[in-house]
Amino acid sequence: MANRVFRSSVSGRFDGYEGSGTQTRINWEVRFARAGVGAIISSWCGVDRRGYIVPGYAGIDRDNQVPFWRELARRVHEIGSKYIVQLAHGGRQRDIGGIEFRAGLSSTGKRDPLNGFPAEQASPEQLAAVVRAFADGAARARDAGLDGIEIHGANGYLFTQFLSSATNERRDEYGGPLENRARLLLDTVRAVRQRVGEDFHVQVKISVTERGNAFLPWLRRGNTVDDSTRVCRWLEEAGADAIHVSAGNTFPHPLNPAGGLPLKEVWKNYDGLISSGSTVFRNYLLYRTPLVNRIMQWRWERPAGEVEGANLADSRAIKQAVSIPVLCTGGFQTASVVRAAIEGGDCDAVTIARPLIANPDLLELWRTGHDRPPRPCSYCNKCLFNLLESPLGCYDERRYGSREEMLAEIYAVFDPPPF
Amino acid sequence: MTDTSIIFEPLRLRTLEVKNRVFRSSLAGRFNNYDGTGTPTHVNWDLTFARGGVGAIISSNAPVHPRGLIVPNYAHIDRDETIPFWRELVQRVHEHDCKYIVQLAFSGRQRDLGGIQFEKGWSSTDKPEPIHGLQCERMTVAEIRQLVDAFAQGARRARAAGADGIEIHGCNGYLITQFLSPAINDRKDEYGGSPENRARFALEIVRAVRAEVGSDYHLQFKITAVDYGNDLFFWRPKGTGLAESIQVCKWLQEAGVDALHVSSGSSFPHPRNPAGDFPIEDVVRGYDTMISSGRHTFRNYLIFRTWPFNQLFRWLWRRPSRGRIEGINLADCRAVKAAVSIPVVCTGGFQTASVVADAIARGDCDGVTIGRPLIANPNLVELWRAGHDRPPRPCTYSNKCLINQLENPLGCYEESRFDSREEMVREILSVFDPPQFV
Repeated sequence: MANRVFRSSVSGRFDGYEGSGTQTRINWEVRFARAGVGAIISSWCGVDRRGYIVPGYAGIDRDNQVPFWRELARRVHEIGSKYIVQLAHGGRQRDIGGIEFRAGLSSTGKRDPLNGFPAEQASPEQLAAVVRAFADGAARARDAGLDGIEIHGANGYLFTQFLSSATNERRDEYGGPLENRARLLLDTVRAVRQRVGEDFHVQVKISVTERGNAFLPWLRRGNTVDDSTRVCRWLEEAGADAIHVSAGNTFPHPLNPAGGLPLKEVWKNYDGLISSGSTVFRNYLLYRTPLVNRIMQWRWERPAGEVEGANLADSRAIKQAVSIPVLCTGGFQTASVVRAAIEGGDCDAVTIARPLIANPDLLELWRTGHDRPPRPCSYCNKCLFNLLESPLGCYDERRYGSREEMLAEIYAVFDPPPF
Repeated sequence: MTDTSIIFEPLRLRTLEVKNRVFRSSLAGRFNNYDGTGTPTHVNWDLTFARGGVGAIISSNAPVHPRGLIVPNYAHIDRDETIPFWRELVQRVHEHDCKYIVQLAFSGRQRDLGGIQFEKGWSSTDKPEPIHGLQCERMTVAEIRQLVDAFAQGARRARAAGADGIEIHGCNGYLITQFLSPAINDRKDEYGGSPENRARFALEIVRAVRAEVGSDYHLQFKITAVDYGNDLFFWRPKGTGLAESIQVCKWLQEAGVDALHVSSGSSFPHPRNPAGDFPIEDVVRGYDTMISSGRHTFRNYLIFRTWPFNQLFRWLWRRPSRGRIEGINLADCRAVKAAVSIPVVCTGGFQTASVVADAIARGDCDGVTIGRPLIANPNLVELWRAGHDRPPRPCTYSNKCLINQLENPLGCYEESRFDSREEMVREILSVFDPPQFV
């Protein structure tokens, strides 16, 4: 890698409903390659149709998607970045499940506590199929000429649903002690390693601190740094080449992406989720109710504290426990903060999402002497909430001269069109 | 058995010959990019019908201006950069001996999801659309002139792309209806008041389009023959009646229109178009995303999810079309046809060969346009040719296709027509094959 900056996984509903990739997705990724990041971690990329979280993200669950990934790799390589595809399975945490599968697979048959997304408890046979799906996805990534894969073990998706003591209530070999809860992830890493061979980059993203009770105080806390440190050691033994540190046992979570809960954006976009979960309508009403929504906003925004580098302490703990490189995410946009983190041994590199949406030329700004971009990311999270109904981009109007300027930048992703 | 051979006779329009009497009517799914640029998925979609043997395809609702979208992700024709997409689409459709007509459209205040560019739609009025409470701004005369030109430019682009003609979408409650209908148009200037004034906008568009594309290009106009504005809510005004529409059709013919396309209803959807069921379960799943669109959408959502209000709404919805979905517009169409000398095509649930053949033979219309039954059976024309009077698995008019298209790919969602849900889903998702990159 040319430098210590990864574009972290950011998605956007730019693709076909069934997960076929599009020219728009290529336009989106090429933007960050041009901006000079060392590597791009792909959008959230499903290895199994049942594991998709929202229709319209490119998947890697079947062979006819390989030509798209190959073209994407070619375009990104041309410019000089590396490309790592994030292999993922949503489990029960599916914002919009789509028309194919009503309930997501999970460690448990219980609905997700915040939105009430339905779940079906996965049998050992189904879990074996999930492991195979990851290995197949990794093989396709390698076949497409990509530079590596990231197994998405963080942020409340399927692997978190197994790892987390707050979610996993199984009594079989996949539940109970941490060794059992980590079994699915470790089996997956081993199967992937076996399939792609020794000379292919495999990293794992993990939520080091879960803080399951950060938003709803009556929920369980889940895994701590100590639990995750042990998991990361096992991951290294199982063949992982790097660890990517994140936080929170759901997505979104007050710790990731840490920052604002933009109420207007929430109720404009959350309405489309009402049919997805049994408690979404209740939540929707609460988000619209004055005072109540302010309390929810306060609950959401309180745990974060300083957004930039919020995960560095966790990252440091992991780095001290393993001998493979550790990447850390969490609002990075200040050059001196990143340098201090790397020099101080908190991490080996940073991964950046929102600040790069706001300033795709962040690296160039750093290189030309800015410690922070003149118009930094405000962590308002409007990008996150708009992406369900509108193109992914920066929706913080204050950062632009006018709304028209903001829209022009958002729409730039469609240029060039497919024809 | 009725002789249905008349369906397979060519339809000779002034500048265009269509190989049979069946048009695929305008059907729009959210297959394109948010900014209105067309995609290969849309090409796949239209090719399904070209392969199925229809004589001509009327495109999806194609906005001539970005403010005129109904929902994001339909293919626009609002700038020259969109021409390569339409060119590719037309060329692929032509390979199947099928004509392609682009439907030039502007939503006005009737926008299901307005998108991020324009908070409010444009309309003849500044009163919100009554069903969902969608907000709008009253157009100034300068804005009206700008839009008249946008239609002309859209027509120019269609011709440049090699399309065989254009259809001006003047019905179903979209912008032109908002001018034509006395139930909506409350203007006091030269675009409101008398029938002449309310028709002025439509006629100016026709003349501007004609001037732009020349006399040797097919131009048809889709019109709501009768508004039936009080079908759903009895306290609302009726709107345009048949006599006035016939007068407008005569004016349209004089202004240079080559054919008329008869539909009904002062809104979309409307109990008569697409006539049929109100599928409550699908509505509850699909309407939630519209809650942030209008003032009444939250109220409507509560009605749709609450028994018995939802059943009452369903009863109101189904009442106007009870017992006569197929050919529901034929009587109105016959009256229009009797008053003009240009060909007239008619829409409304057609899927029975004998019904279509009788309608043409009787002089109700010269051809039919079909939406939902072709979604259910894209090979309908082939089935007719093979001797079926009606497809073995006909369209049930459940309207699930319509309701699902906001959140899901357009297709037939009537599970009872398939052996299994998996088979249905497979057919729906087949529109993505081939993908953009192969």
